[in-house]
Amino acid sequence: MKKISLPIVAGAMLVAAGFVGMTTPAAMAYDGTKCKAPGNCWEPKPGFPEKIAGSKYDPKHNPKELAKQVESRKGEEARNAQRAAHFKKTGKWVYDVKKIQ
Amino acid sequence: MLMSASCMAIAVALQVGVASSAYANDKLIELSKSNENWVMPGKNYDSNNYSESTQVNAENVKQLKHAWSFSTGELHGHEGAPLVIGDMMYVHSSFPNKTFALNLNDPGHILWQHSPKQDPAARSVACCDLVNRGLAYWPGDDKTPALVIKTQLDGHLVALNAKTGEEFWKVENGDIKVGQTLTQAPYVVHDLAIVGSSGAELGVRGHVTAYNVKTGEQAWRYYATGPDEEIGLADDFNSANPHYGQKGLGTATWEGDAWKIGGGTNWGWYAYDPQANLIYYGSGNPAPWNETMRPGDNKWTMTITARDADTGKMKFGYQKTPHDEWDFAGVNVIMLSEQTDKEGKKRKLLTHPDRNGIVYTLDRENGDLISADKLDDTVNVFKHVDLKSGLPVRDPEFGTRMDHKGTEICPSAMGYHNQGHDSYDPTKQLFFMGINHICMDWEPFMLPYRAGQFFVGATLWMYPGPKGDRQNYLGLGQIKAYNAITNTYKWEHMERFSVWGGTLATAGNLVFYGTLDGFLKARNSDTGELLWKHKLPSGVIGYPMTYEHKGVQYIAVMSGVGGWPGVGLVFDLQDPTAGLGAVGAFKNLQRYTQMGGSLEVFSLDGKNPYDDVNVGEWTKG
Repeated sequence: MKKISLPIVAGAMLVAAGFVGMTTPAAMAYDGTKCKAPGNCWEPKPGFPEKIAGSKYDPKHNPKELAKQVESRKGEEARNAQRAAHFKKTGKWVYDVKKIQ
Repeated sequence: MLMSASCMAIAVALQVGVASSAYANDKLIELSKSNENWVMPGKNYDSNNYSESTQVNAENVKQLKHAWSFSTGELHGHEGAPLVIGDMMYVHSSFPNKTFALNLNDPGHILWQHSPKQDPAARSVACCDLVNRGLAYWPGDDKTPALVIKTQLDGHLVALNAKTGEEFWKVENGDIKVGQTLTQAPYVVHDLAIVGSSGAELGVRGHVTAYNVKTGEQAWRYYATGPDEEIGLADDFNSANPHYGQKGLGTATWEGDAWKIGGGTNWGWYAYDPQANLIYYGSGNPAPWNETMRPGDNKWTMTITARDADTGKMKFGYQKTPHDEWDFAGVNVIMLSEQTDKEGKKRKLLTHPDRNGIVYTLDRENGDLISADKLDDTVNVFKHVDLKSGLPVRDPEFGTRMDHKGTEICPSAMGYHNQGHDSYDPTKQLFFMGINHICMDWEPFMLPYRAGQFFVGATLWMYPGPKGDRQNYLGLGQIKAYNAITNTYKWEHMERFSVWGGTLATAGNLVFYGTLDGFLKARNSDTGELLWKHKLPSGVIGYPMTYEHKGVQYIAVMSGVGGWPGVGLVFDLQDPTAGLGAVGAFKNLQRYTQMGGSLEVFSLDGKNPYDDVNVGEWTKG
């Protein structure tokens, strides 16, 4: 019974939302089918915010930590390029870039 | 000396002409047509694990006997399968990712071995055991020797001279200090070696890279999240299905910079269509597992991805699991076929059994969604997938969120399907899928991101699905034969444990698969009837392969339990929520198997090179 009644409730809420202009009706659950744009259909769940920044769910990411993967890959790509260039020049793959003149 | 001399020759050759006219992939296609070879992960570019060999068949499979075996000298999970090129077999191991070349005329003789020295700290950032899914092969040309391409857990992609085992080149493609590792098998297309990424459980943003096999140079690299140019969208990306989403979504479906640690690693399998020149793979889960910490659809994680092999540009992308709430990492196997759809239209297709409990079939040229069927009727996270919109219709009761413990969610994070590489029989038009039957409870928690540390944020309790034995924690697997057009299952059977390792189908009317409790089994592929099985040393998480050598058909499979289902057994864990929840689900596995690490080879009557007792003897006679 519970499962059957859910879509009916959701449908009723959708109509209500249209009339009163609510953005996130509390009882309307996120089912993934109401899209802001093609390929963008996320909605907050009842009781959850549209934006988490400033809420109790704010992840408060440290930008320095977020940048670490990019920095690490730049180093790898630079060292790999040195190795490949040396290989093309000499025919010998030298992994240790300190040994590449 | 030998090495440097040959390398000099290569260097000269490179300067003369980099753009070789005959693509090596044509050679791979040719080699893969011979029953004497198994030249790439998944056997061929269709990735169908199907052999036309009929010597071993449903009538005589009871005569299948052990022929020989090879121990790798390592424990932990042994995934993937060996390669065979002519007289040579190439076998890989778990960490530290040794490679062995065996002579099929005398397999006791190790022709060469490659033993990488890796920082043991790599072990500490591997989410799910120290596994590796295998090797790839580049056939060489008149200037450059044939190469075996391998990945290492410490992030390196390595090319070895296939004749000598000497390192040809070695590039960095992952840094353990920021939580990255490599576990997948690389893939060779044209003169490129393609390699994915691991570490979504440590907040790694997924990337896929192609290196020139002849020079070790990076040809292209693209990401799963972020700005379009970093993702590498083609100008006509998703033009046939604009409702899947197109521009700007790699950032628009995230809040702020969360995409920078957004997951989407691809550590599964590849397939390739030479006519369309597209490679196919699926991207993994977004990070962290705590859905509340990353509002948005989180594109292009969880996406069936088609990229141009040479430029890496993304032709189409279909997100199966928008805003993942269950760690349904979308990396599973992709099998190609040509079939007539319900409207009578002949289609070039891809079929993909996902972690989320849905098996998808798409037109592989333009991304049209053809089928999306539940792997089992007990899937409850989605009511169904709407084929017109392409959207899964979520059942909010089985979603996850902060301050809530979701219960009885099916599938679990381990999926109703995981990394196992399945098979497709093109004559029967049937897919043979090794399936998991595991459900879960799930409760997320807040946590900070620190590069190099785990970034999961959820506690899980996993247990057998409704058709298993929840009291005794058994009945965690299924094996099924499936038709992607009629959306029907021709047969299905329960298994004691998850069928984690994939399957092999043959024209002998057989389907082979290994089990976590250490059997190699053969079923009649028409009826599903169990015809034969053999007890191996340890559980199986790799897929069986087959080849013919000197007129004898052999079936080979890696033995050595581990991977995610084995973490409790392998690391001696008891807390049911440890091992990301797998310890509880598989607490009975250790009553049926222990660790191992070997290749087990079978043939009719056990026929093998040592039937001649003088083969391999130091003193003959």
